[in-house]
Amino acid sequence: MNFDFEDTERGLCDKIKDLFDTDSMALLAQLEQQDSADIRDTVLGWLNTLAQTGYLELGLDKGKDNIGLKIAQETLASISPSLFLSVEVSARIFGRLVEVHGSPELKADILSPLKEGRIIGAVALSEEGMSIENNPLNTAGVQDSRGYLVSGSKAHVVNAPIADWIAVAGTVSGGAEARHAFFLVKKDSKGLNIGERLSTLGYNGVTTSAISLENCTLPSNHVIGPFEDMGPILDVRTWEDQILTAAGLGLMRTCFDAALNYARNHTSGGKPIIAYQEIGFKLAEMLTLFQTAQLLAYRAGWMADTGDREAASIAHCAKVFCAESAEEIASHALQILGGHGFIHGNPAEEGYRDAKYLQIAGTSSEISRVKIGDAVLSSVG
Amino acid sequence: MDFSFTEEQVMFKEQVIRFAKKEIVPRVEEHDLKGEFDFQSFRKLGEFGILGLHFPEELGGSNADVVTTVLAGEALGEAGVDGGLTLAYGAHTFLCADTIFAHGTDAQREKYIPRLASGELIGCMGLTEPGAGSDVASMTTRAEKRGDRYVLNGTKMFITNGPIADVAVVYGKTGKDEKHAGISAFIVEKGTPGFSAGKNLIKMGVRTSHTSELILEDCEIPEENLIGLEGSGFLMAMQTVEWDRSALLAPFVGAMTYVLKKCAQYAKERYQFGRPISHFQAIKHKLAEIKIFMEAARPLVYRIAWCKDQGRPLNHLEAAIAKLFIGDWSLKPANEAVTLHGGYGYCHEYEVERCFRDSRLAPIGGGTSEIQKKIISKLM
Repeated sequence: MNFDFEDTERGLCDKIKDLFDTDSMALLAQLEQQDSADIRDTVLGWLNTLAQTGYLELGLDKGKDNIGLKIAQETLASISPSLFLSVEVSARIFGRLVEVHGSPELKADILSPLKEGRIIGAVALSEEGMSIENNPLNTAGVQDSRGYLVSGSKAHVVNAPIADWIAVAGTVSGGAEARHAFFLVKKDSKGLNIGERLSTLGYNGVTTSAISLENCTLPSNHVIGPFEDMGPILDVRTWEDQILTAAGLGLMRTCFDAALNYARNHTSGGKPIIAYQEIGFKLAEMLTLFQTAQLLAYRAGWMADTGDREAASIAHCAKVFCAESAEEIASHALQILGGHGFIHGNPAEEGYRDAKYLQIAGTSSEISRVKIGDAVLSSVG
Repeated sequence: MDFSFTEEQVMFKEQVIRFAKKEIVPRVEEHDLKGEFDFQSFRKLGEFGILGLHFPEELGGSNADVVTTVLAGEALGEAGVDGGLTLAYGAHTFLCADTIFAHGTDAQREKYIPRLASGELIGCMGLTEPGAGSDVASMTTRAEKRGDRYVLNGTKMFITNGPIADVAVVYGKTGKDEKHAGISAFIVEKGTPGFSAGKNLIKMGVRTSHTSELILEDCEIPEENLIGLEGSGFLMAMQTVEWDRSALLAPFVGAMTYVLKKCAQYAKERYQFGRPISHFQAIKHKLAEIKIFMEAARPLVYRIAWCKDQGRPLNHLEAAIAKLFIGDWSLKPANEAVTLHGGYGYCHEYEVERCFRDSRLAPIGGGTSEIQKKIISKLM
């Protein structure tokens, strides 16, 4: 047992902090107002910078979580929530997919530039009107002499408007039964249509859109799979959940720091408002939730890394707790900031809008609870 | 970071669970219903070695580290031991015996620790007063030095094990106008003239622990019963917080594991609309609430224990966070467990009813949640 971070775990976290000075933070604060082209430039710029720290390669090979990665992610998420999400979807989801399941050829063609921060990736999983877990996917590829003809549509694809490559989850027909696979589609491919950038409640510095494919032709070597079961598809969801858990930690840190700073400096009745129990106690609850969430998330990462049999269930616990605590902390922070909190462009207001995403994206809080409940039920005789 | 336990710790925890299930749990319901302290189970805890686990072997202990000691507390809760007995154990071992061990003279240690570790003697701590809870400095109990004796006068309130204790660590003021610096700690034995316990208070939960006033009326004790130096009592009381936020909280966390298993078993056996209620999403959500709380709470407790094992001074912020979280956030899952059982959950024969009542102490005992928030907001 050891509750201290190892130097190796903390090292990357410090490197990331050092990358962001006041000027770059000011520029990142404008990310929410940028159009897709500017966001692409910003994200690529930071991907390139982060690549030099080794951040983009962390956790790719094993497809697992670990504490060093988690605290580095927490740091980046606290600096810029939107940049964090774009970077993670590109590196930790798209990149992992290619690293874990891709052919050597794909790794050479796609992974190398991805790790160097020269291209952006996206993964298209969800389909309109259905859960990926209970239904075969409608998006399908049919093999012919030229490779695969892929058709289908996907909803809410993060990074789609700025991505160089999109891994599209679907089924491959032709055998006895449809099997799942990922189709790697390059931007500007014929038959690929990127929908309009969606206007969202939060994470407004992230570009998200629907996509559709109409007889989009791919060479056979751009198909990852087909797989024997849904495992690799569900793995992607797990990776998403890990990222969203870290996003929650970063959000909590930012909102708590903003509220604490404000409470120390804003005075009322001749004293800082932190001196009032209404405020001080709120901050105490926020810090309690934050530290509890941190330990739970770190433990979930440690369990995943060590292959604990309960790792999947604890990861769901961490995701639900972090996502819901993030919303509570953001709400408290906004309340403490008062009128200032209600004005667009402060961390509490941004965090309050972003927090809802964490409960919806990846495995929703409701589905996570069902999975946790199932795991509990299966553990008793 | 490493959240693992050693193989020995894991095996020990399993041993404690097996022992408790066999020797203690079958007696819980009867004693809880009657609101009676279970002397037999308490002695069994002593025989098994739990009461003195962290004391040196030469004083009747096992020289266990803090994490292992906390594991034992969690194991008792997980086995289904009621909060009353675990509270009695906590007050006895950590608030009374450990104060004598940590701050007493060799003679005091040798006189009391082996007999407290075995369960031959029962200990308690008298700190809280009717008018002084978390505001320790406002205590009014006085200890006046007269020759080679101290004369104690005052009343202590809500003293766990008060009516049954053989040995009490009692705090009183020796200084005249001093606050914290005037507080000293004394050993007062049962039967000392002027020392008596009030009647056992009837409580909502943790009913098998006996709680009462301690009354000191011109209670004369020899000067060698002073623990440590005059004026160092506040520090001693604060040092018990380390145990309070780890070993005393651990049974609450363990009890949630117990509750979770009971809920899952019930959900599988209870049929409604032709299928077990475990098939309903709303039931799974309740199980998840309990599980999430349990998993979130556990590292908070072990962080305090591990830091104590490293010899670090108590981090009061982290300690208050552990207490606040387990106190306030445990109420919802405890309530969910009762609701999941429906009408049966409201009846005593189902253990979740007792666990619900027991859990209500968590945000109150050992420093209320409001006090924890006060500490956190001051330290952040």
